[in-house]
Amino acid sequence: MKRVCAVVSFVILVMGCLALAQPCAAAEAVKLNLLERYTSPERTAFIKDVVKTFEAAHPNITINVISPPFDQAEAKLNMMINAKEPLDIVEISNLTIKQFVNNGLLENLESRIASWPDAKSWLPLTFSAARFVDNTAYLMPEFYFIKALFMRTDVLKKLGVDTVPTTMQQLYDLSKKITKPAANQYGFAFRGKGNPYRTSDYMILADLPNVDPKNVYRTTDGKLVFEHSQFVKSLKAYIELFKTAVPPDGINWGFSEQVNAFASGVAPLLIQDPDTVALVDRQIGRDKYTVVPMPLGISGKTYLDYGFGGLAIPSYSTNKDAAWEFMKLFSAPKQNAELCKKYGPLPTHAVTYKEDPYFSTGVYKAWAVEMNTPDKYTFVRFPTDSPVFPGWAQVQQQSMQATLLGQITAEEAAAKWAGYWK
Amino acid sequence: MLMPALLLLALRIYLPVVQSIALAFRQYNLLNLSNTGFNGLANFRAVILDPNADFLRILLNTFVWVAGSLILQFVLGFTLALLLCKPFPGRGLYASCVFYPWAVSGFAIGLVWSWLFNGQFGLVNDVLMRLGFLAHPIGFLSNPRFAMMSVIVANVWYGIPFFGIMLLAALQSVPRELYESAEVEGAGKIRQLFSVTIPCVLPVIVSTTLLRMMWIMNFPDIIYGMTDGGPVNSTTTLAIQMINRTYLEFNYGQGAAIGVIIMAIQFTYAFIYLSVSSRSEIEL
Repeated sequence: MKRVCAVVSFVILVMGCLALAQPCAAAEAVKLNLLERYTSPERTAFIKDVVKTFEAAHPNITINVISPPFDQAEAKLNMMINAKEPLDIVEISNLTIKQFVNNGLLENLESRIASWPDAKSWLPLTFSAARFVDNTAYLMPEFYFIKALFMRTDVLKKLGVDTVPTTMQQLYDLSKKITKPAANQYGFAFRGKGNPYRTSDYMILADLPNVDPKNVYRTTDGKLVFEHSQFVKSLKAYIELFKTAVPPDGINWGFSEQVNAFASGVAPLLIQDPDTVALVDRQIGRDKYTVVPMPLGISGKTYLDYGFGGLAIPSYSTNKDAAWEFMKLFSAPKQNAELCKKYGPLPTHAVTYKEDPYFSTGVYKAWAVEMNTPDKYTFVRFPTDSPVFPGWAQVQQQSMQATLLGQITAEEAAAKWAGYWK
Repeated sequence: MLMPALLLLALRIYLPVVQSIALAFRQYNLLNLSNTGFNGLANFRAVILDPNADFLRILLNTFVWVAGSLILQFVLGFTLALLLCKPFPGRGLYASCVFYPWAVSGFAIGLVWSWLFNGQFGLVNDVLMRLGFLAHPIGFLSNPRFAMMSVIVANVWYGIPFFGIMLLAALQSVPRELYESAEVEGAGKIRQLFSVTIPCVLPVIVSTTLLRMMWIMNFPDIIYGMTDGGPVNSTTTLAIQMINRTYLEFNYGQGAAIGVIIMAIQFTYAFIYLSVSSRSEIEL
C-alpha cells in the first residue's frame, strides 16, 4: 500500500510539475501577426520565404502572414489597426501613415534603428522616408516608387525617331509628331483615371521655377502653384498633348490601359513607376524598350515625389521585440534587393545600387540618375498632412477630365483647385 | 425558446445598423480621432452641399443606374425563364451557361467589361466597325454620354441570371391545368401570359425586383472596375460616393451619412412598392 501511495504521489508530483511547466513554455512561444498591404502572388511568396528563414532561426516565434487582396488591403488595415486587433507588424503606405501616427497607433522606431548596423547603408532618401511624419521614424521603408520615362525603342526606331526627349517640350513635340490616328499610332500613354494627379502634376509643375519641396502645391514664397502665371499655360500645353497625341479613350485609362497601350506599341512613351519594369519585361522583353530620366520643364527641373511603403509596429503590440527581430531580417540589404527584384520597385540601401548589377545597370540607371542629380530632380512631398488631401485625387480627376473634355476651361480648373487648397 | 435567435439577429443585423446611423451624426474622421463627438446634421450638410460633388447629379445617376439595370435585367431575365421553362435537348447545359455570370465577382466583371468597351482595344468597337455600323471607335467609357449606358449593359449581363433562376423556379410551380383551362376558353399565348403566368408568379416578381433594386443601389463593384465614377462624375452613384468618402477620404461620418440616405430611399421605395403590389395582388 505504501508503495502504491508512493507511486501515485510521484505521478501526481510529476504531472503537477509538467502542468506548472506548461504555461512557462507557452509564455515563451510568440506568435506574430503580419498584415501585408501590397499583396501580389510573387510578393506574398517572397514574404513567406523570409518568414520561414526567420522561424528556422527563432524556433519560439511563428509568424502568421495576413494577405488581403490588394484592393481591400488598405481598408482591412484600417479596420484591424483602429479596432486594435492583434497585429504586430503592418505594412504602411506613405499616403496613409499620417493618420496612424496622429492616432498614436504606431511605435516610435528611432532607438531601434539607431542600434541597427544595416541602417548605415540606407540611402539618405530612406532616412527621410522613415521619418516622413513628424521627423520621427515610424516605419522601415521597403521600397520606392519614383516616376521615369519608358520608351519603346523598337517602335520609335520604326517611326524614324532616334532621340531621347530631355525636356517636357521635346516630349510633347515628339508625341505629337509620331501621332497618326489613321494608323492607330499615338504618342503618349496618358493617365486619365486612378490618381492621374501623380502624372499630370509632375508634367505641369516642372515648368514652375520655385515649387516648395515640402508642399508641391505651394511655391517657396507660400503662394499656391495654381495661381502662378505659368500654371495655366502649362496646363493648356498638357490639354493640347491630350488632344493631339492621345486617343480620346485615354481619359479613362488607368494603370492597366496605360501599360497595354505601351506594350502594344500604340503609345510608345509612358511615364510610370519602376514596378512597371517587371510587367513590361514579361509582356515584351527588355530588348524592346528603355527607361530614361523624367524630362525637365521650362524651369530646368522636374519635381518628383517618392511613393513608398514600409514595415511598422502597432503601438499596442505586445510582441514588439520579436516583431523588430523580423523587421531587421526583412529590411537587410540582401532581402530588400530580392524583394525589389520580385516586385519591381527601387531598393532602400545604397550598397544595392553599387554592388548588385541588376540595379546598377540597364533600365534602373534612370532612377539612379534621378536620385543622384538634385539640381535637376527635386524630391517634393504632396501635402499628405492636410485634412483635404484624401479627397484631392477624386476632385482633381473629375475636374481634369472636365477640362480635357472642354466642359470647363484651364483657367476655371486652376481656380477650382486653388479654391480647394486655400 | 426564441430568445437566442432574436438576440443573435439583433447583434448581427440591428446593432451594426444602429451603429452606422449613430456614426452619421458624429464627427468621425480617421485622420483626426481626437474629436469624434456628436455633430448634428453636419455630415448630411457636407455631403449634400459639397461644392466638389454635385449631389443632385449623383442622385439622378443613382436613379438611372438602378432603374435602367433593374428594368432590363427583369425583362430579359423573365424572357430567359419563359424560354427555359419548356423542355428541350441540352436545356441543363444551356441553363448552366446562361446562369454563369451570377457566379462571377462584380469587380472581375467590371474589369472584363472595361476591356470589352475600351475605345482603343475593345472588342465591342472592333465588332461594330467590322460589321460596318461604326466608322470610328466610340469611347464608351471615356464619353460621358455613353459611360452610364455601358456600365448598365455590364450590370444587366450580370443580373439576368438572378431573375432567370428565380422566375424559372416560380414558372415551374404554376399548375398546368390553369393553362389547359385557359386554352379551352380560347386564350392565346399572350393572354395566357398576362392572365395566368404573371398573376401566378407575381409574389416572386415583387420580392425579386424589390431585393434586386436594393442590391443594385448598393452595388459599386462594376462601376469601380469600369469607370471609377467618371468621366466627370457621369457614373458616380450614391454607393460609389459612400465608398469614396469612407475608404479614400477616411471620413466615416460622412460615409455613414450617405449610407443613411441610401437606407432612407430604400425604405421609402420598399414601403410604397409593397403597398401598391399588395393592393394589386388583392385586385387580381
